[in-house]
Amino acid sequence: MRTYAPATTEAVLADLLEEPSLARGVVHHRHIPARAAVYGAHPAWLDPRIRDGLASRGIDRLYTHQADAVEAVHAGDDVVVVTPTASGKTLCYAVPVLQAIADDPAARALFLFPTKALGQDQVAEFSGLARAANMTISAATYDGDTPAPIRSAVRKAGQVVVSNPDMLNSAILPHHTKWFQLFEQLRVIVIDELHTYRGVFGSHVANVIRRLLRLCAHYGSSPVIVCCSATIANPAELAAMLTGRPARLIDRNGAPAGERHVLLVDPPVLDAATGARGSAQTLANRWALPFLRAGRQTIVFGRSRTAVEILLTGLREALRESYGPRSRVRGYRGGYLPTERRAIERGLRDGEVLGVVATNALELGVDIGRLDVAILAGYPGSVAATWQQFGRAGRRQGTSVSVLVASGAPVDQYVIHHPEFVLDGSPEEARVDPDNLHVLLAHLRAAVFEMPFEPGERFGPGPADDLLAFLSESGHVRQAGDGRWYWSSENFPASEISLRTAAPENVVIIDTSPDRPRVLGEVDLFSAQVLVHEHAIYIHESIQYHVDKLEWGERKAYVHRIDADHYTYANRAVTLKPLDVFDEAPATGGHRVHGEVMVASLVTLYKKLKFVTDENVGWGPIDLPEIELQTTAYWLTADALPGRWSRNDLDVALIGAGRAIQTIASVLLMVDPRDLGLVTQVRSPHQEAPTIYLYESVPGGVGLSERLWQRHDELIVGATELISACACDGGCPACTGPRLEPDIDAKTLALRFLRECGAGAVAAA
Amino acid sequence: MTGATLERRLANYRAAIRPDPAPSAADKTRTAGLAQLLATAVDGEVVDGPFGAVVRCEPLTVVLPLDRERLARLPGQPPPDAPLVCLDTETTGLATAAGTMAFLVGLGWWEGERFRQAQLLLPDQPNELALLTLIEAHIPRTAWLVTYNGRGFDWPLLVTRYRMARRDPPIHAGHLDLLPFVRRVFRHRMGDARLRTVETELLNVARHEDVEGWQIPGRYLDFLRLGIVEPLVAVVRHNREDVRSLARLLGHIESGFADADVRRTAARGDLAGLARAFSRERRFVEALDCLETALAAPIDPPPTAPSSPSHRGEEDRWWMPRHRADFGGPPAPPPQPIATARLDAPWTEERIRIDRARLLRRLGRFGESANAWEGLAAGSGPVAAHAWVEVSKLREHRLGDHPGALDAGLRARAVIERRRRLALVDPALERGLARRLERLTRRVGDAPPASISAGSVAQPVAAAAAGTIGTLGSTAIDAQVDLTQSRSGSNEQAIVRRSPARALR
Repeated sequence: MRTYAPATTEAVLADLLEEPSLARGVVHHRHIPARAAVYGAHPAWLDPRIRDGLASRGIDRLYTHQADAVEAVHAGDDVVVVTPTASGKTLCYAVPVLQAIADDPAARALFLFPTKALGQDQVAEFSGLARAANMTISAATYDGDTPAPIRSAVRKAGQVVVSNPDMLNSAILPHHTKWFQLFEQLRVIVIDELHTYRGVFGSHVANVIRRLLRLCAHYGSSPVIVCCSATIANPAELAAMLTGRPARLIDRNGAPAGERHVLLVDPPVLDAATGARGSAQTLANRWALPFLRAGRQTIVFGRSRTAVEILLTGLREALRESYGPRSRVRGYRGGYLPTERRAIERGLRDGEVLGVVATNALELGVDIGRLDVAILAGYPGSVAATWQQFGRAGRRQGTSVSVLVASGAPVDQYVIHHPEFVLDGSPEEARVDPDNLHVLLAHLRAAVFEMPFEPGERFGPGPADDLLAFLSESGHVRQAGDGRWYWSSENFPASEISLRTAAPENVVIIDTSPDRPRVLGEVDLFSAQVLVHEHAIYIHESIQYHVDKLEWGERKAYVHRIDADHYTYANRAVTLKPLDVFDEAPATGGHRVHGEVMVASLVTLYKKLKFVTDENVGWGPIDLPEIELQTTAYWLTADALPGRWSRNDLDVALIGAGRAIQTIASVLLMVDPRDLGLVTQVRSPHQEAPTIYLYESVPGGVGLSERLWQRHDELIVGATELISACACDGGCPACTGPRLEPDIDAKTLALRFLRECGAGAVAAA
Repeated sequence: MTGATLERRLANYRAAIRPDPAPSAADKTRTAGLAQLLATAVDGEVVDGPFGAVVRCEPLTVVLPLDRERLARLPGQPPPDAPLVCLDTETTGLATAAGTMAFLVGLGWWEGERFRQAQLLLPDQPNELALLTLIEAHIPRTAWLVTYNGRGFDWPLLVTRYRMARRDPPIHAGHLDLLPFVRRVFRHRMGDARLRTVETELLNVARHEDVEGWQIPGRYLDFLRLGIVEPLVAVVRHNREDVRSLARLLGHIESGFADADVRRTAARGDLAGLARAFSRERRFVEALDCLETALAAPIDPPPTAPSSPSHRGEEDRWWMPRHRADFGGPPAPPPQPIATARLDAPWTEERIRIDRARLLRRLGRFGESANAWEGLAAGSGPVAAHAWVEVSKLREHRLGDHPGALDAGLRARAVIERRRRLALVDPALERGLARRLERLTRRVGDAPPASISAGSVAQPVAAAAAGTIGTLGSTAIDAQVDLTQSRSGSNEQAIVRRSPARALR
């Protein structure tokens, strides 16, 4: 295979599939034929300047999804546009905004992006379109990097303001009187990368949007909301939850695509007893090398900064040995300088850079053109992200290849053995709970600060009076003689909100490695126990930090950067007490419940686990007080199991089944497995029966448990499939969790338990 | 998630964090008739209007003569026929964001020689529109507002309140914020620029039992929540004195500085600052007059330190690194920067003369300016090098004396060389000078050898053109000389806009 002659992508792929050592690992190979473009009608009402502007950029016709979106927005409907990477979604909102400004130069628009970099990219793109249409439109970013003199200009005259939710929360909404020109004339709100607003972040953003719309109503504007999302199962539902209004789903993708091969690859099993597998990174590099040698532009995605460097080193080493084009292979991740990144992006576009190894920093909208091959070393955590990364390869003409190499992690193993999961439709959902009590109360405070509440005025699910009365008990809010609720404190509530966490009381993480210590981030107390205990390896933006000291009373953790080959996993001893039942229904073998629980958690020791292999390489004690978490949970009480169980067997079965259910739940709801806690009780003191609890590790929850309760049957079936498809003999970390005692067959016991809970019956039905 | 579930969650949460629900504080004040309570306590009257009640206090009028004709001669002051409205607000917080309210607005205006005041108090939050309406009634369209840091804080805050009420803020003809003027003219001899300091240092007014600014929001919020009204009396008094001090300050400025003859007795630093204020309006003749008066005046007393080191102890943080412990003995003299752009720097004679030399150039009196710079160029201090460079510029561009310019440039280089031996380096100056010398050498070389001086400097010129000056490395940068003072005015503006607290230092 040491060929350096340029070859076509098909030829290289054909060669690779003839190589037995590689072909054996291919679990699934799907050929997706090329698709021609489908065009919609050019809207008749379009301003001639915009029409000519588009034509000058070679756009004579709009694709179907663009045409649909443009028409709907013009008609005043909220829309959510779902399209794959690089299908021209910018036009979906840029055209209506241009048209609105062409009709009325006083019109304004607000674009929200989850990160600053994306916002800046979009300003450039939008301004380019405006120039092409020969319109002078002031479009500007308003974020933490905007200098003070420019800020006031943007406030007064920015027709298109590009910002992010954090800035909206802390700088724009509380100062709305300085933005009155924007709020009075706001016609379009664009929320891009909708799928990133999920979990706690999404719940916060939903409340920020509630506040935004409340102010718009005050200033007499009623903007249309345009959301853009990657492929998820419930885009319309997510948009409705985030904006509080129904949105029209637009998913008739009309963009053309070349032919594509998708391969799902599993590393070989090295040890059947433990289920250990070969490294995904090594295998990913073996797939990447032949393409690079043949001169095909290739991107390799690693899951962390370290992984990127390991992959890059491996590739360069291999290319050096064989005198390949090693200097044309570059790394790309957070921590590289902006100029360096821009150079790599440019190099990728003009072909100078042949290969790039990247983290998900290259997953969202950054423009790098289209490549030939995308190789994913490890499942990126969601189907949406997988397709975003796959989408980096895909020329309009010619063939592209996308390879997903699984790691040994449970989620990866489930996904790789369910090709329909990745390839056909998308069962995973983004969940948010805008009515999480902690989140809601924090934003209600900010909303009162922004404007007094009328008696009976709604905020979120209903009239806010009860919640305001609750806030008034602590004195920040008061009801005056006219019945309205006023802010009555010197504090500035928006600054107390961190959109990325739920609890008001957070541990601040301080990085001591630079000359001047800087704040790295915050974690809520409950997560702090397991994430930033002393000697923990804390990973932030895929950079590893060692926690030197945790000042629990001060709520501060001091860390410094290191490069370690291991991570830490803290064992949480959890006791759980149900507080309230919101919903209950019978299920095979017992019943399923969704309700509120109090979780008391004590963390006493941590383990050091090697990256990739998850091998245990040491442990240490943790000395922290017990803390309580009030949250929502889903639980299965198996009080009607048909079979007879010994106590020990049942214990093993519950843990095994619980682990598998937890894995499946995290896959279906697109969350980190750590966002869901697992507690199993052989004889629950509260239910008097064997019970599996899955609780949300965010205070108050973000709506996951309610959804799990609804999707109970899928969890049981998925867990059964996960365990039975696993290659191990008696249970392994990928299915039933690490084996506690080597002689016990956790796999069989867990499967038996799941069968008695109706796995077979549901699957048959 | 349904509303019913939310209610249950709230109940569970409340039960978990607060087993006994606290009695709601709102009930106590809702029915108590806050307006009447407030009016009685602060000795005011309740003014009822369509939007609710406001409490209005009218303090005794005082005689504060102010000659508006004379005042208008000073830079930045309002025209003599515009009515003046002094304004100061007390607020529920320091952020000018939407949730901060002005609960007390003090207004003052002249009726003949008498200064009349009105204080408008907000008895409850719903009555804000009544307050705003009443404020508007006190501000004629032709009026100038007079405030202290009002451009940065009080007025934007009021504008915010009008916007919240979907009203346009009151129209007025101008806004005189006295803070920048005070910083420019008096800051050099005061520890900070707070209004309180202005009172003690300039106006000879002492306050008794005054309330600290940070206590004010809490006092009003306690009144709203709990009906505690007594602590507000001191706040009203504080506000009354603040507004009155605005009028006094204006009087002080007018009587002491408006007349060119009267201001001959003023402190030289004040005059130098006033010259800056004139310069900003391009009134260079008056500015020059101020500076020349200042140079003739006696030397200023040293500035009063913000905290006198008379009682040490906890103040003396001798355990801190980089802090010299106090072992008794006479206090060390404070380090005296030679010339800086900072407003609190003392006005040395040299600094005034630099300003004068600059002014002369702006007036087009280039010969005199060059002479003034030459006067400054004696010695080998950091100013000398800059002064020679200025002389060189003037001779080259304004006086058409290229050989003379070259000569001045070489002298500047000589000073720089001397200073470099003391490890005092100014790379920017050196680079600029190197280019200047190169150009001058060329010009002088090209010109016909008409004058003798041209020939006499030709020799050293060649060496200068070889230009070792710009390439020498810098070991220390003497940053004390900042001769870009003319820009300092705009810097102050920026500071005022950014943070009211910082601006008052």
